[in-house]
Amino acid sequence: MLPWLIKRLLMLVPVFLAVSVVIFSILHFIPGDPIDNLLKIGSSPEARAEMEVRYGLDKPLAVQYSIWLGNVVQGDLGTAIVARRPVADLIAQALPHSLRLGGLALLFSTVVGVLLGVVAALNRDRWPDRAIMGGVLVGSTMPSFWLGLILILVFSVSLGWFPVSGARGWQSLVLPVLTIGLGGTALVARITRVSMIEAAGRDFVTLLHAKGLSPLRIQLGHVLRHALIPVVTILALRIGWILGGAVTVEVVFARPGLGTLLIKSLSQHDYPVVQACLLMLAMAVMLGTLLGDIMQALMDPRVRAALS
Amino acid sequence: MTYPLRKSFLAASVSLAALFSAQSLAAQEAVFVIGTAEVGAPTYNPIKATMLNTATALLFDRMVSQAADLSYHPWLAESWEEAADGMSWTFKLKQGITFHNGEPFTADTVKAWIELFKTTEGENAYMAEAIASVEVVDPTTVKFVMSRPEPNLLYNLSSTFMSVIEPKSFAALGDNFGVTEVYGTGPYKLESFAVGQETVLVRNEDYKWGPAVAANAGPAKVERLTFREIPEDSTAFLELKTGGVDFLLSVPADLMGEVQKEANLAVLTMAGQDVWYMPINVTKAPFDDIRVREAAAKAINQDEILASVFGGVGAVADTFLISALPESKVSDGARIKFDPDRSNALLDEAGWAMGEGGVRMKDGQPLKVTLWTQSDSIFRRLTEVVQAQLKAVGIEAEITTFDSSMIRDQYKTGEQQLAVRSYNWDNADIVDWFFGGDRLGYPNVSMFNDPKAEELRTAAMTGAKNMEERIANFTAYHDYVLTQFPMAPIYQPVQAMAYNADRISLPATINAPSFGTAAFMDLEVKE
Repeated sequence: MLPWLIKRLLMLVPVFLAVSVVIFSILHFIPGDPIDNLLKIGSSPEARAEMEVRYGLDKPLAVQYSIWLGNVVQGDLGTAIVARRPVADLIAQALPHSLRLGGLALLFSTVVGVLLGVVAALNRDRWPDRAIMGGVLVGSTMPSFWLGLILILVFSVSLGWFPVSGARGWQSLVLPVLTIGLGGTALVARITRVSMIEAAGRDFVTLLHAKGLSPLRIQLGHVLRHALIPVVTILALRIGWILGGAVTVEVVFARPGLGTLLIKSLSQHDYPVVQACLLMLAMAVMLGTLLGDIMQALMDPRVRAALS
Repeated sequence: MTYPLRKSFLAASVSLAALFSAQSLAAQEAVFVIGTAEVGAPTYNPIKATMLNTATALLFDRMVSQAADLSYHPWLAESWEEAADGMSWTFKLKQGITFHNGEPFTADTVKAWIELFKTTEGENAYMAEAIASVEVVDPTTVKFVMSRPEPNLLYNLSSTFMSVIEPKSFAALGDNFGVTEVYGTGPYKLESFAVGQETVLVRNEDYKWGPAVAANAGPAKVERLTFREIPEDSTAFLELKTGGVDFLLSVPADLMGEVQKEANLAVLTMAGQDVWYMPINVTKAPFDDIRVREAAAKAINQDEILASVFGGVGAVADTFLISALPESKVSDGARIKFDPDRSNALLDEAGWAMGEGGVRMKDGQPLKVTLWTQSDSIFRRLTEVVQAQLKAVGIEAEITTFDSSMIRDQYKTGEQQLAVRSYNWDNADIVDWFFGGDRLGYPNVSMFNDPKAEELRTAAMTGAKNMEERIANFTAYHDYVLTQFPMAPIYQPVQAMAYNADRISLPATINAPSFGTAAFMDLEVKE
């Protein structure tokens, strides 16, 4: 297991390098630079040139990249050009908000998704299955910013149950969590259903039936356990996804977090902040994938055996 | 059996309700939403910042205040005098003023502050550039010795960028000043600040030195103010509608109708500081011909735009400056007004004859130009109207829309022909910013670089000894620029705000150019 894990971790290094090149270059190919946001009415062209030198923007792109990468590897994310603060501070302020939102959304989509998937599988091709799968289809096709606005209109404006925006108290978390979570719920429900139906057709299930176990016990005790392997993998993969999905939702609900920070810094061309945010999101996806692999290995005796 | 229980429930809920209402009465707080243009201001450090939000005006005071008519009035300075040659200014300071951290405000403070202002790296130092040195005459008198006359000094001193900071903590805190801690002499103290999220201010109970333009000298009437930053205008409006917030400091034109539909909401308008205009790139054919520029400029029907795009709210613009500025009083001939006959005559004269399909032709080429705009919906709407008006005199303009955050970089390519844009500023030096020959591309979108204009510009920027001279020089510079048609003025909006009239009561008049310190001093929360 350990050599496999080390190999798996080492494979992340080239991926990380490739991602860092893409993040760095994409940003610098967008026309414009952060200096525009620092210049005020009345400042001279010399002031502009001086600023470019100060922030190292006068150097060739490759040199800028290697300096940046060197610092990042040492854990130094740099200083925000427009915000004029250490990027690490800005991230440290934003990340907990996004993690809380993303974590709750993941929890919500897992619990509700598995529950719906099980109910649908147990009632295969009957009306509860059709209703759930129909709902899931609608849920998975709705763009999150639109869903967010609809939820605001219904639950905040018409019913007045939850605040429209902001990050004060648990009430303000309900609608954003629902907005992000509903899409995931659809995915989890669909996979749970499919893999339960698939597992139910396996030989060991026939054996369990032959042994005289009650159908419900077979379904929940054995089939579900079997069916959860792909669900867990998908959930781990979604960790990165959910943080990324939080970007639009945070803006719609005017919540603090990585997404709000990313969008604001992007419009100000604050390179160090945007690079750090994108790197965080990319790392979340990478680590989520790794976690998915590990979980799969731990849960599936065949994979575990193959590794050791 | 059930009766007493119900009674006690009732009693409990009544007392609970009383508790809640008592709390909200005592709290005396109001929630404001900062305008979207100010969202994300990273610091309350006025010396280093390039962007400051409305709450800045409550943390700090300034030397002088400005009234609605743009005249200057006392604030931290009780009175002032300019030397006849403009080479020095003497300010008499108010006494008994203290900063939030207990430090006294004296002539020494002013000296230390100006020195910090001139030496701190950042973009604002130019505002104090003409001050050569500061002399402490006595504890309540300072003298600014000038390197050249600077008639614009009072304007600079009334700007939030020249908010008076507490110099000792400023030096000690470094970049944390304005983020984790802020010390000014203002009517409110900082309780908390989360960048891009919200700022909470609490009343400075000792404050009694408000600006002369406010009716209330202090302390302020509301105990606690929260300034929220909501990047989406529609979200902010829904917050106001549902009672989540009390006041929107900026309402876009397209939401005004929605606000007016709600019985408990009210709209407040103040004179605007924006001008919408159409820059014309003087270096790109056919606009290198001044006749074609004039024709395009005079094809713009400002009255029609005011009525159809902006619902009659605001005013037309026929110069480059807001009408409140004295430098906007240019000669009648220089004002750029709708005149389709003149446009048509000029185009005929320049050889552009009306062709088929209503597009003019010259040497077999149609009069086709590009018209750039930014992605915000109001810009797109206005640009379509401008396009139709140009078509009416035979100019076919093709609209290209750029993302608002990217368009400045597009201007730097110098490829634009016509564009629709706006600026926000309330000083005549904006003419220098947008038409100075050394800033071609952006901000000088018109690529205007004219030797006579440059001469007039130097005289306007640094050649005046006093305010009358500065006004005269800037008026002459502005007048000349207009006659060269590097742009067409379109519209001057108002500053529109919306608030919950059940909660907030505003003073009858706000004697200030914008909704700032004076308005907040007199604002009340209804009980």
